[in-house]
Amino acid sequence: MAGLTCTNTGLSTGSGLLSHCADVFICSDSGAHSSVQPGGRGRGMRSLRGSATGPKKQRASSQNNVLSSFPWRRVVSCVAGVASGFGSVSAIAILSGGNGGGWGGEGGGYRGGGDGNGGHWWRNIFDNGMAFADGRNDDSEQYDSHGLRVDLRVHITKLNPNKRYKISEVELVDKRTKQAVSSKDPFYELVTLRPGSIATKAQLESEVENLLNCGMFQTVEMEGVTQADGSMKMQISFVESQWQPADSFRCVNVGLLSQSRLPDNEATMNDQQREEMAKIQEEEYKTRLRRARPCMLPKTVEREISGWLRTETRVTARMLQKIRDRVQRWYHEEGYACAQVVNFGNLNTNEVVCEVVEGDITKLQIQFLDKMGTPCEGVTKLQIIGRELPDQLRPGQVFNIEAGKKALRNVNGLALFSNIEVNPRPDEETDGGIVVEVKLKELEQKTAEVSTEWSVVPGSSGRPTLASIRPGGSVTFEHRNLYGLNRSILGCVTSSNLFNPQDDLGFKAEYVHPYVDGVDDPRNRTFKASCFNSRKLSAVFTGGTGQEEVPAIWVDRAGMKVNLTENFTRQSKLTYGLVVEEVTTRDETSAICTNGARTLPSGALSLEGPPTTHSDTGIDRVAFLQGNLTHDNTHFVNGTPVGSRNIFQWDQGLGIGSRFPFFNRHQISLTQFVQLQPEDTKDQLKPPPVLVLHGRYGGCVGDLATYDAFTLGGPYSVRGYNIGELAACRRFLELATELRIPINKTHAYGFLEYGTDLGSSKDVRGNPTEFFRRAGAGASYGVGVKLGSIRAEWAQDCNAGSGSLFVRFGERF
Amino acid sequence: MATAQVREWTGLQQFPAQTQTALHSLLGRLRQENMESLTVLVLGKGGVGKSSTVNSMVGERVAVVSAFQSETLRPIQCSRSRAGFTLNIIDTPGLVEGGCVNDQALDIIRRFLLNKTIDAVLYVDRLDGYRVDNLDKQVIRAIARNFGPQIWRLALVVLTHAQLSPPDGVEYSDFVARRSAALTDAIRQEAGFKKAEDTVPVVLVENSGRCNTNTGGEKILPDGTVWLPNLVERIVEIATGPAKSLLIDKKLIEGPNANQRGKLWIPLLLLFQYFFVLKPIQSRINRDIEDERQNRPQWEVRAEQFRRTSMLEEERADEQAITDAFKQDNLDDLGELGDQFEGLDDDDDEF
Repeated sequence: MAGLTCTNTGLSTGSGLLSHCADVFICSDSGAHSSVQPGGRGRGMRSLRGSATGPKKQRASSQNNVLSSFPWRRVVSCVAGVASGFGSVSAIAILSGGNGGGWGGEGGGYRGGGDGNGGHWWRNIFDNGMAFADGRNDDSEQYDSHGLRVDLRVHITKLNPNKRYKISEVELVDKRTKQAVSSKDPFYELVTLRPGSIATKAQLESEVENLLNCGMFQTVEMEGVTQADGSMKMQISFVESQWQPADSFRCVNVGLLSQSRLPDNEATMNDQQREEMAKIQEEEYKTRLRRARPCMLPKTVEREISGWLRTETRVTARMLQKIRDRVQRWYHEEGYACAQVVNFGNLNTNEVVCEVVEGDITKLQIQFLDKMGTPCEGVTKLQIIGRELPDQLRPGQVFNIEAGKKALRNVNGLALFSNIEVNPRPDEETDGGIVVEVKLKELEQKTAEVSTEWSVVPGSSGRPTLASIRPGGSVTFEHRNLYGLNRSILGCVTSSNLFNPQDDLGFKAEYVHPYVDGVDDPRNRTFKASCFNSRKLSAVFTGGTGQEEVPAIWVDRAGMKVNLTENFTRQSKLTYGLVVEEVTTRDETSAICTNGARTLPSGALSLEGPPTTHSDTGIDRVAFLQGNLTHDNTHFVNGTPVGSRNIFQWDQGLGIGSRFPFFNRHQISLTQFVQLQPEDTKDQLKPPPVLVLHGRYGGCVGDLATYDAFTLGGPYSVRGYNIGELAACRRFLELATELRIPINKTHAYGFLEYGTDLGSSKDVRGNPTEFFRRAGAGASYGVGVKLGSIRAEWAQDCNAGSGSLFVRFGERF
Repeated sequence: MATAQVREWTGLQQFPAQTQTALHSLLGRLRQENMESLTVLVLGKGGVGKSSTVNSMVGERVAVVSAFQSETLRPIQCSRSRAGFTLNIIDTPGLVEGGCVNDQALDIIRRFLLNKTIDAVLYVDRLDGYRVDNLDKQVIRAIARNFGPQIWRLALVVLTHAQLSPPDGVEYSDFVARRSAALTDAIRQEAGFKKAEDTVPVVLVENSGRCNTNTGGEKILPDGTVWLPNLVERIVEIATGPAKSLLIDKKLIEGPNANQRGKLWIPLLLLFQYFFVLKPIQSRINRDIEDERQNRPQWEVRAEQFRRTSMLEEERADEQAITDAFKQDNLDDLGELGDQFEGLDDDDDEF
């Protein structure tokens, strides 16, 4: 319901919900608190109602009495809470037991009321907003005319309890200045009556009561001014609570401090006892402040608020409200969604003390949910999840929405759960504590999948027809999360003809074993073992520009691979392992072939092309070490990557295999994404212009089988050419640059690319570059637009001098 | 096999007497150089008269010649011996097929020539071809690539169909000079000869039976030279010249084996990669991690600061309990403190 949710599709939905988190969470928080002290609330209401109607004098004197016996009682407890009601009330500030409250008048009403639960300056949160929302959800717009003379002031106690009054206007009048306050005054937020609404006498009375309860006012009176159209203009006159001036401000963290409780029999206490009680309370308050932990609020904000205080002659309720808003705004801006100002202490001294509950995490709960959303036993071991949760979510820390997001991101990265929620929830046992709940819905452990594909080609009459009635496709089986340790087995069989798969059966079986160094070790290494059989069209045996079809050579690789992957950061990683494979080259009829072929101009087939394999037999067996080191610190700025990505790849032959291949094949690619303009903070969707610089070099020393030669040309090499159209070589260099200019929410780009074989084509056996009449080097340039994940680009091929349009998926870099 | 069945050079005796003496003297020159055999490779485009030239040289019909189609499909070696001296002439199929260099033919020739030593190469073309086009250059280049550019140092350009009347207004000698200059220039260019080097010699040949003869029955060219002894003389000059005979071995045919090159350096390369590629990238990653730690968001920094203080908190709580107990005793003092505040209270009476 609340908090951070992540369905496995991604974070975007999660973050959408995040913005609601604060509200919803606080809503449940306030609910919990009001239920903690139901008694106090009831009594508080009673005593405060008295103050609204009771004689003023009596109140003043008794107040005096109280004050003399509680000298430090200038300290007024102020409670602020935020409750979200039914949309009508967004924020209600509540001051309980306000200084002006008629505690004394009602015979210890203060203590019995606002302080009913002890001398704590703790919060009482009344969900008055909700009550009113209910009341106002009346069905009709009908109302009763007041039936009185126009322009008559009527005190609400004199209204007819059976009538439904229409309120035409609400006006707040400060009794001190005798002026109506401006409509932008924050006090209007406290009033739930809205012009145009309909209310009964009881509702109006409870409104007054609520206003008094909130503690901002010493007195509140409401009068109706009868209007000509039968409606009433409500005039609320109030006296704002005020305290003596202060010149400094301090914020303390009172989270997790236990509340002291006072004996309930205050009414029976005599003055002496009361005085003692006061001393105890004072002492307790001081202790409390001393025990309060430092709070995160930076000194700059504290100084800013002190500055405000100094300019004011009095500390007013309005001031406190402003302070509260400022403090809470800082916390919420910094992501401390659970932070709240709960109290202002030390009023009537030089220093205003703002008590804040920052939202200390007391407990971290991991809960598994089944499909129906009910808690269940999870398969996943808790350490697996625990290591993904940031330290900032552990007990003892303050809950921050960013930590929640991070947890969500990390746990989502495990790819074990279909739904992830991170919810902060108020701790019922410890006041001001937060329990972080991580709710997880596990994915099915075993999955099987069959996918088929039917090829469609243009038929004789131009209409699309099925290329063949044989379906191609794949069957995948996966067993995830073995032993709850995120180990998995994956099996996949692909064939272009599922009815008769022995023709070309590709398969892959993989075992993944994460946390090789142990689940508790921070080092994150993953072991992977796989055996595979794949068939790919070789780009080495393709023709150059304008060359007619070259008979295709298929390269079958069957073998096994073991490797270890170590993740350094989210994107940077090192992989190293051993590959043992058998490589078979086949022609279009699936027969093993030893040499490439080319159609001669006479139409005959020249079969004496470059040898396809190292061993000249068409079958190579080879074992080599393979490694890949990726350094990637790209991050997204308004949706476009910025940073650098460097990849070094190497294959080291061991001299094991057919004709003892010993080689070192290496490739390094450097890509830099340069942000040309600072981030547009206003428009989050507008990416900055970015310049991409890219260089790639590859080379091979030692035995090089033709199928392993580097190829130049293609969408990921030199755009504008077909894959392998430029060269098949031993060494190559590729340079590319791309300029991305934002257009609306996406970007257009222009690019310039060049690739050269560095004259190394002749060092490949049989010189496939020359045999298939390829250029050996080439440049291209073009422009394109990115539309979602599709790139539409026009590229000019500088060798042939012709341009062509391409539509491609994914990114070039 | 060739040596076992080397036939006697009977054709020699059928040459006119003057030609025979000229050839004998040339063979004598070779013997002086301690050469007991001479291998001549004949290359050229199709239909230019390679086989006819071979037949003319040997004086026998060793190669099938047809006016309208290419008869030579694979290389033929004919060997003739005379007085302990062996002449090997290798006739080859045309290098051009359908307007392109015939790689297949070149490949067959290459295989045929494997482990043979070539003393001279005859590059045959027609005199009546008017210009050197791109195809000629491609052929020249293909020969250089397949057998190494060195082969052109053994070459002799043979221009057949020499008995022609040049186009109007051009002197015969002038025409020959221009035609041969064009070809030798192309060869010089494509084979990568330096400017200072001698150009490839050119010899004119007329194989047709209609060829004019002099009084001795020797075939002569329009300018009156007897071409057969002249051709052989040039061949002998090349064979005895500074250019070494060429042994066509596997290495020459397949080119330098790039797979072997630098193999020994691989361990060093591996070390280089480890220290100068892998390590720098790794250090960049570490720098990233460090950067990330330094630039971590404020909330993370604060979380760390406040965790540290909250750890101290535990200790302080114990301390607190002690001081609390102590303070309890001094409660009276606090009472006084409270009284001091009372004075201020009166200010607030207006409430």
